[in-house]
This record gives sequence, C-alpha cells and structure tokens, in this order.
Amino acid sequence: MELNKLFDEYYEKSYIQGGTTCCPGCGGPLFWRLALEVLGANTILYGDGPCAYCAIRNIKLPTFGIHFSFAADGATGIAAALRVKGRKDITLVSSAGDGATGDISFGKVSAAAERNENMIQICVDNEAYMNTGVQKSGLTPFGAWTTTTPLGKEAPKKEIPMILAQHKIPYVATASVAYPKDFQKKIIKAKGIEGFKYFHSVIPCPTGWRFDPAKSIEVIRLGVQTWAWPLYEIEGGILKLTMKPKRRPIEDYLKAQNRFRHLTDDQVKHIQAMTDQKRERLLQQDGKRIIF
Amino acid sequence: MDGNEAAAWGAKLSRAEVIPAYPITPQTELISQIAALISEGIMDAEYIKVEGEHTAMAAAIGASVAGARVFTASASQGIAFMEEALWMPPGRRLPIVMCMVNRAMAPIGGLRPDHNDALMQRDTGWIQLYCENSQEVIDTVIQSFKIGEDKRVCLPVAPCYDGYFVSATATPTTIPDQSEVDDFLPPYVHEMYNIMPGEHKPTGGSSDIAKARYEVEKAHERARGIIEEVDKEFGKRFGRCYDGLIEEYNCDGAEAVLVTMGSMTGTARDVIDEMRGKGKSIGLVKLKGFRPFPTEEFRKLGKKYNAIAVVDRNNSYGSAGGGIVSMEVARALYALDDRPLLVNFQVGLGGSDVTMRQIEYMAEETLEAVETGKVKSVVDWVELHDLGEVM
Repeated sequence: MELNKLFDEYYEKSYIQGGTTCCPGCGGPLFWRLALEVLGANTILYGDGPCAYCAIRNIKLPTFGIHFSFAADGATGIAAALRVKGRKDITLVSSAGDGATGDISFGKVSAAAERNENMIQICVDNEAYMNTGVQKSGLTPFGAWTTTTPLGKEAPKKEIPMILAQHKIPYVATASVAYPKDFQKKIIKAKGIEGFKYFHSVIPCPTGWRFDPAKSIEVIRLGVQTWAWPLYEIEGGILKLTMKPKRRPIEDYLKAQNRFRHLTDDQVKHIQAMTDQKRERLLQQDGKRIIF
Repeated sequence: MDGNEAAAWGAKLSRAEVIPAYPITPQTELISQIAALISEGIMDAEYIKVEGEHTAMAAAIGASVAGARVFTASASQGIAFMEEALWMPPGRRLPIVMCMVNRAMAPIGGLRPDHNDALMQRDTGWIQLYCENSQEVIDTVIQSFKIGEDKRVCLPVAPCYDGYFVSATATPTTIPDQSEVDDFLPPYVHEMYNIMPGEHKPTGGSSDIAKARYEVEKAHERARGIIEEVDKEFGKRFGRCYDGLIEEYNCDGAEAVLVTMGSMTGTARDVIDEMRGKGKSIGLVKLKGFRPFPTEEFRKLGKKYNAIAVVDRNNSYGSAGGGIVSMEVARALYALDDRPLLVNFQVGLGGSDVTMRQIEYMAEETLEAVETGKVKSVVDWVELHDLGEVM
C-alpha cells in the first residue's frame, strides 16, 4: 500500500504517466523521466514511432508522433510556426531512435543541423531496430548479433555525435541513463542554447541485447566504464569529456550480453584495440577545439 | 503573368505563413518567385529551404499542426517522393495547400505535363482542383485556403496545373487586391487541435479507425458543396468564378460532350466553337474538381447527352478500362437506368502537345459513335493515329 502511494505521488508530479508499454528493463521510460524532469512543462515533443517513443505514449505534454522516416523534419515545421507566432518560450524536442537517426532519416537530421533549426534533437539509441524485433541498424556495434546479422555485424557503429558535430552546430552531447546527473546537466545546458542541439544517449535493451532485465543499469554503466560509450560534450567546437573512467577491459561489457557471446578471442581483441584507440584519441583531444 | 508567378502571388495574397519547399522542374519558378517576394519584403513568411520533397511535406505537416497557414508546391517525381507524407494531412485534418505543377512520371515521359503525377495521389484524401490558365491558378490558390480551412472540411487542397503550358506561359492575369483577399480569407484558426503547451488538444488518432476514415469521407462529401459556395462568393467579390467542380461550355442543344482537364481545355474551347459554327452537335465539359469527384454532376450530364467522351491525359497500365478519369466517369454513370455512350481517349501522354486536330478528331469520333450507337474501342490512343496536318 505504502509503495502504491509513493508511485501515485511520483506520477502526480511527473510529466509521464504511470505504466508503460515497454519491455521490462527498457531504458526508454527512464530516459524520458530524466529528460522531462528538467525540460519542464513548456515543451513540445515531436518524435518517431518505434521504441524511443513507446515510453512516452502516455505523456502529459503536447506530442506529435509520426513514422521513423520523419525524424527532425516535422519539428522543422513546428519551429517555423513557433517563429511565426513569436513563441520563444517553448522548448522544442525532436526525438528519434538509432534507426531513424543513423539510417532512414540520416539526411533529415543532417539537413536540420545544417539549417541550425532551433530544437533539441535527441537520439534514443538501443543499437538496433528493436520495435520490429531486433534487426541491425547503422548504430549496431561491430560484432553484435541481431536477426539480420546472425553471425555478428560486419561494420562498426556510425559515429553520429561526431558527424553532427562536423555540421558546426552549437552543442553536441553523449549521455547514459546510468549517470542521471550528467544526463540532466546536459539536457539543461541544451535547453539554454539557441539553435540545433544534438543529444545522444545509448539505452539498455535486455530484449535485444540478451541479458537479464534486472541488470539493465549495471550493463549500461559497464558501457561507459569500458569506453564502449564515452560521455562527452562538444560546445562551440571544443570537446570536453564529462567522465574519464580508468581503462577497463571491454570484455567485461561484452560478456554481460549474449548478443556478443559468439565472438572469437580475435574479434574481442580487435574490439579492444579499437576502443583503446578511441579512448586515447578522446583523452588527447579533451579540452581542445576539434571542429574547425 | 505565368502560372508559377500566379501561384506565388496566390500564396502571398493568402498570407501563407510557412512555406517549406524543394525545387523541381517545372515548379522551380514558383518557389524562386516566393523567395524573391520574401527577400523584397513584399511577402512575410517563413521560407524553409528543405533537402527534399519528403521533408517539404513533413515540415508542412509540423507547421500546420502548430497552427500556421502553410503553402508548398511540387511536381512529378517530387510528388512521388513525398507520397508517404501526403497521407498525413487528410488523416490529421490539416488544411495545407500544395500546388501540383503537373509533369509526366519517368521513365516514359519528359519534363512536360500529363496528369498521372497528381492522379496517382487520388486515394490519399487531398482535394484536387485542375486549373486551365494563370488567372484560374491565382484565384484557385486563394479559394483553396478558404475551402480547406472551412470547419466543415479541414482537408488539404491541391490546385493542379500543367507544367509549361500553364506554369511557363504568360497570359493576362488580374492580381486581386490584398485588402479584398483579407476580407475574403480571414486568418487561419484550427479548432480541432492545438499543440501549444498548456492549451494542448491532441491531433486526432482515433481508436475507432473506420469511424475516423468515414469522417474524412464525409468531409469530402461536404467539400463538394463548399467548393461551389466558396467559388460563388469569390465570384461576387472578384467578378470571376469557375462553376464549382465542372463547367459546361457551349453545350446548349449538343448531343455529345468532350470532357477535358487542365490546359487542353483552352485549346478545346476554340475547336468546339469552330465545330459548333459548322453545325456539329458537340459541347465541352471542363472537369475542375477531380477530388471530391462530381458524381451527381456527371449523372446529370448523362441524362442530357447521348455520349460522353472523356479525354484522359493519363493512363493506368493494365486497367483494360481506359484512363483514370474515364473509369471514374463510368462508375458515376453506371447508376443511371438509361446510360449514355462512354467514349474514352488517351492523349497528351508524357507531355506531348494536344493539338486542335486531335481534339477535332476526338469530337468527330464521338459524334460517329452517337450516329452508329456504337463505341469502337474501350479506349482510343489518339497519338497512335496519323491524323495528317496539324489544324
């Protein structure tokens, strides 16, 4: 009874309603709870249909949901209408999953960035087409099993945050739901900047990544600690690492998920070498201008 | 003024607020003209230079949902590219206006006009109004906002006009006065939804799917009357009107009529005048409204004339029943106890010129059908005949 009361009280205050259509252990509802807490009531949410949006089907704020071939483009129209109506007080958030951002709507997100549309473009990245039943996307990491890469993905994950940073937009950030303070600080910062802000968070997907849903936060935290998903921001072209964990073997992260269980020792070594290179490069560039 | 310039002025006079657009021949002059009007301070609108037609329609949807009056334009491959998005405005009840500057689809066609690009969007729920010349374009764009935004309608409207023959041909055009247009077309307010924080009313998404679809269908049915109503009001204010969904031209006492759509109507007027002068019993029907389709109007025509000849500037492969308009007309006429002969011609495909001689041929063939009581073939591909000298 006491617990029910607690939930009721929380959801009374929260912009997201109780209950979810997401799988157990999904990072989506957590993502949106964290984001909406700091975005506040004066927000319009535009987003594509699949997983990323399931979590906010029952949101209390104005939303406009559409198919995943429409990332950022409808929000462009909303932004224009807000300019016509002189509504500078409203935060416009445009959400898309990894399949929309990296594949089918890649050009849309790129074009909105080029036009520097005034919106926070969010990528809720569970590293595959999970809503349709685990198919490979451009943001699936190297080696990962999906139903369309039964032997493991051949190509590496696209570096969308870096690609968008090259559009010379005012703000780019990576985040993780395992680090809520860092996550929310970055949303708050994005909200205060004019122009196109890109915010990219990997979220855990026990269904597609093949692990026990109870371990969601543990697994996603390992992603940050092993540098599989480094946390940084790029503001005005300057890179800043917001988390600099000590080196930890990538194997710890890979072993925690059955989507990587078929990997050979050589493949694991290859992933480790790539991750080390990325870590060293980022540490070297930390605090420096990387976009010219 | 050419058709594209007329459309741009139509959007300007209608005070369109957001214009997302992507260039495609033969629509480019329209959107360049809008960009020029904005840069010269003549027009006040947010012009979004998007990266493709799919985004043009998506941004139009977003802007319309957020309460802005939206105008855009496309053609041919561009309309096909945005097709996924074209289904959204009718379902969401968004009164976006988009000019379809008709051009043939690849690969068998060129840059010139036929109507397949717009007609293949027949089932999306857009109102489609086909214009004959620049004057009709400017007037129809203004009327389209009034029709689409009417509370009884709430549907997107596509003024369609032929590339080159209308888009690039300058004809004398009267530009309506801004203050008169403002009186005719008040600012856009949508009462069905609102996405502004604090005032939020959801944008549809009924759990009862069949009912929601039926609502769109009912809106089309109501639109028939409203198109006429708006046209009449326009006529009173501006002294020009277009007889709603169809216009009968020089039909008095005729035994048969040719039905045309778009720019070829202008050519057909001359040919019909000449033939009537020679005592031939044939009139002309200009089909302006393809969606909603003027079913009742065609039934009335069916009772008056012994033969109805549909001139289709399109084709539907494998239909075995002729062009798209002719199939629609056939369905309308089927309900009659005493049906007229239905003759179907396909001409001007891929943008070939529709000549006076071809129209004369079609009229003669139709009159021969009336005389013999028989139609020679389900569909006559006019351009496959050698008709000799161009008249």
